[in-house]
Amino acid sequence: MKLLRASMKALVAMTVLAAAGTIAQAKDITVAVVPKVAVPFFDDCNTGAAEAAKKLGVNYQWVVPQDTQGSTQVRIIEDLMAKHVDGIAISVNEPKSVERVIKEAVAKGIKVLTFDSDSANSGRSMYIGTINEAAGETMGKSMADALGGEGEVAIVTGQLGATNLNERIDGVKKALADYPGIKVVAVEGTEDDLAKAVSVVEALFRGHPNLKGIFGVSQVGGPAVAKVIASKEFESRKGAVKVFAFDDLPDTIKGVKEGFIQGIMVQRPVTMGRLAVEHLVAQITGEETNPKDIDTGVTVVDASNLDSYTK
Amino acid sequence: MSVADSSANPMPAKARRGRTIWSSFIKIRELNVLAALLVIGALISFATPYFLTVDNLMGVSRSFSLTAIMAIGMVLVIITGGIDLSVGSVMGLASLITALCFDQGMSMPVAISAGLGVGVVFGGFNGVLITVIGLPPFIATLGTLSIGRGMMYMITHGVPLTPDVPDAFVEIGQGYLGVIPIPVVLLIVLTVIFSIIMRQTRFGRHVYATGGNEHAARLSGVKTDRIKLYVYMLSGLISAFAGVISFSRYLSAEPASGFGAELNVIAAAAIGGASLAGGIGSVEGAVIGAALAGIIANGVVLMNIDTYAQQAITGAVIIIAVSLDVLRTKFRR
Repeated sequence: MKLLRASMKALVAMTVLAAAGTIAQAKDITVAVVPKVAVPFFDDCNTGAAEAAKKLGVNYQWVVPQDTQGSTQVRIIEDLMAKHVDGIAISVNEPKSVERVIKEAVAKGIKVLTFDSDSANSGRSMYIGTINEAAGETMGKSMADALGGEGEVAIVTGQLGATNLNERIDGVKKALADYPGIKVVAVEGTEDDLAKAVSVVEALFRGHPNLKGIFGVSQVGGPAVAKVIASKEFESRKGAVKVFAFDDLPDTIKGVKEGFIQGIMVQRPVTMGRLAVEHLVAQITGEETNPKDIDTGVTVVDASNLDSYTK
Repeated sequence: MSVADSSANPMPAKARRGRTIWSSFIKIRELNVLAALLVIGALISFATPYFLTVDNLMGVSRSFSLTAIMAIGMVLVIITGGIDLSVGSVMGLASLITALCFDQGMSMPVAISAGLGVGVVFGGFNGVLITVIGLPPFIATLGTLSIGRGMMYMITHGVPLTPDVPDAFVEIGQGYLGVIPIPVVLLIVLTVIFSIIMRQTRFGRHVYATGGNEHAARLSGVKTDRIKLYVYMLSGLISAFAGVISFSRYLSAEPASGFGAELNVIAAAAIGGASLAGGIGSVEGAVIGAALAGIIANGVVLMNIDTYAQQAITGAVIIIAVSLDVLRTKFRR
């Protein structure tokens, strides 16, 4: 009886081991995805990446930096190298600061790609994300159409010096160059802090009574402008000031519904996350040998397609 | 100084005399910082016609009111010779917990109490770490800063919380009393209350004594540990109060809300004449300090100063303003 039970146990153990063995190959692969910092945008990336990882049957780590300093991400990559992960996808806070450590990781055989925010000279295999200058141009054109090519506009950005935001600003200015009637009267940083952004927008409205348009090139811009225009002091500006924003936060969507915001450039973070993991795994298994950058593009979301767009 | 007097007020004669000298010194310094505030205000209003309007002044006051309110708690801590780095974190967490309560369908009194409770718990925890375990305030509050911030990320996963709230709650952050925004009214009320507490009550005197010379204060019967515990709890409570106001103002509990606020709050107290070595400082000074930083931040945008230059200019103006204040005091004596 005892013998029978023991052999049964052994049999069960062997079946389990055998079953584990068949999926071990995929399970052996570990990919890590590193966002810039904890904001909703990256939550969507996480969703896409986690789904892809599950589907492909690979181990998946989501590693969130505590702050936006370049050094924090360098440390994270070093930790991931020490843990011998097979692939890293990262949205870079400071392109220069991670160049050396990414090169080291690549030299150790780890596949590295960037998503959302690039470090072009780091030796990463590819970049997946919005080509920000192109997105900025789309934004600039949308504004020019809304204004009929005339008026003073201001740009509200997030962290000063953030590469992807500066590229969007460049794109906006490039598009506006075709419209001599439109003048950019101010560019203001907000550190991506809602409270600071609200103060800055209030001051912009007071300092520029003829302001006709505001670009919110980082995700804090839309909610901040909507909050300010919703206040009693500035309610007369509703509709008179055209607002174009980036990223579909709940408050930005609400701003479109209530008519404070005319359009949102919506990136495709879920797609970015999914593609990041898929391409990492393909590179690790050797299926992809010559990767090329992917522009995931933006959708212009306004009152007409608010309920139907996808990311 | 009579014997009866000193027994009613357990403080050595030396410390007491020291305090009166200091308090007259403080009074002058407040006037100086106030003068700096007015001069800079005047300069900005020459440069731009949009500064000196009721709307703008009220808007600016509302903008700096949260920093100023937190600076009231901070200056108490600083006077005891401590520091509270957790204020921004506590403010953010309190705003989030308040939002969370509304999200769960709780009533306004419960939501506000829960938010304020966060402050008392964190402040009390700081106080215990510092007085019972004996951690340096910098380390203890640096730890709670991280814990609070981490809890915010754990709760929100980075997504702002935007529940529906009753109209009465919105008034706290967005309402007006006449032309004055409610947060500014609350700031004024708190300033008056704490100014009186610090000048007129035994608690206030003990706070100064704890920071002036802790050993002497303890020998003369001041329960310095208990005073410290109280000021950290007050700082936590006041920061949480700022968090509740902030949530009512923006109706969105942001995961990064209050990030880095501690630096602005400490700066406000220091600009207002508080000494980080303890024993010196005043509630009014801290509020004026916050106002000074606030109008400069407003002025650089109104005057259309290049955004990349704004921070450098803000720093330079603060250094010049406070230097003039210190130098004036020096030459007067």
